[in-house]
Amino acid sequence: MTEKKYLETHEWYSLSDNEITIGISDYAQGELGDIVFVTLPEVGDEFSKGDSMVEVEATKTVAEAYAPMDCVITEINTMLDSEPEIINNDPCGQGWMVKAEVKNLDDSGMLYQEYESFIT
Amino acid sequence: MDQPNLSPLHELHLTNSAKFIEFAGWNMPFSYSGTIKEHNYVRNDVGYFDVSHMGRLKIDNDSIDSLSSLICSDIKNLKHGKALYSIFTNENGCALDDVIFWKFPNYILLICNAINTEKIITHLTNTNIKFEDITKQTALVAVQGPNAIEKLGSILSIPESFSCLENDIYTYARTGYTGEDGLEIMVNIKNLENLLNLLSNIQPCGLGSRDTLRLEASLPLYGFELSEDITPVEAGLKWTITNDENYLGSKKITEQLKNSDHKVLKKFIIDSRNIARTGTKVTSKALSGIVTSGNYSPILKKSIGFVLLESMPDTDLLEFEIRGNLVEGKIIKKRFLK
Repeated sequence: MTEKKYLETHEWYSLSDNEITIGISDYAQGELGDIVFVTLPEVGDEFSKGDSMVEVEATKTVAEAYAPMDCVITEINTMLDSEPEIINNDPCGQGWMVKAEVKNLDDSGMLYQEYESFIT
Repeated sequence: MDQPNLSPLHELHLTNSAKFIEFAGWNMPFSYSGTIKEHNYVRNDVGYFDVSHMGRLKIDNDSIDSLSSLICSDIKNLKHGKALYSIFTNENGCALDDVIFWKFPNYILLICNAINTEKIITHLTNTNIKFEDITKQTALVAVQGPNAIEKLGSILSIPESFSCLENDIYTYARTGYTGEDGLEIMVNIKNLENLLNLLSNIQPCGLGSRDTLRLEASLPLYGFELSEDITPVEAGLKWTITNDENYLGSKKITEQLKNSDHKVLKKFIIDSRNIARTGTKVTSKALSGIVTSGNYSPILKKSIGFVLLESMPDTDLLEFEIRGNLVEGKIIKKRFLK
């Protein structure tokens, strides 16, 4: 699995062969407040880079997570259905949202150091 | 821009690693350990809120007739030692503010919403009401939860519900804004040390959970369920209308009480995973409406809120327009929590 990279829209992704794992950053979960509902896509759904994939409802506001590159969903984190707070507690680990097969590799995300200076 | 006001308890909030929010010109704690955790402290045990941003005006008893001419509730027959929730109305019968009064033998304490303090001060001044603004000389906290009374009972004599007491240090009432039992307690800032000791074993809670708690307790918030365009009748607060004399806007309110041709505020629940937030468009058959407040209920684990409809609906079914999708919900008649 490659080092996590971050997008300006606060998703993280990591690549392993042709598979991508996607979640939202610790900064993003902190800004959202307590996450109460997560609406995930279905396995087989296709997304183009920049498409909205996941909807996150939190006590403060609602947010969407966008596809970092063209991909097809292969697995969703079903634990988020009953325990959406996992994203607050462990956004970059157990709080991952979807896994997908990469259709068009675009590894242009920021490394953490660059993302950190982007958010501060 | 002006620097925001800081609560007398600001240092305590810093020590407790509060996340702050600027609200009505005050920098106040939004959360500490997380909104839902704090919500549950109050529902299951006890928590305190710093509400020092709320306006506190000490009204001279001699001004009670003038005060009574501005509010929809009967304050003249209220006994000393009692608290009263009421609404300042304008000439159209709409809400200038919703407030709490604590009636003591020598004065009446008025607690108003922070966003309306200046407006209420001007309103009282224009009506020649004698009062002293003690907001910045005092701190105000709300200690709320099923264990609040037990926790405070060793320090304070506990009044009956909706009653108030004072001693050399504390001025307080058995009132609140969470649907739980508890006290709201005011001290002069020279007695801040006493208040800090009183709060020392109680979980701090921020304005985030204060909002989810009041919504779940079916309580209105000024600027959302009440405004200068909404009357107490429309907001479902008929029970506050107990002033039989003439008061500002009483004609309009009396008219509204006699007919049903007016806006209505209703509570709703949504079963799907969507929160209908403030401003969301709603329809109920041909009627349209707008969500005034909406959030997640940590106790019901459902999306809840208030909707203001243009008139009384003849069905409980609602359709919310949430980010381009139509989402179903339903009106509920009872309170969200039993």
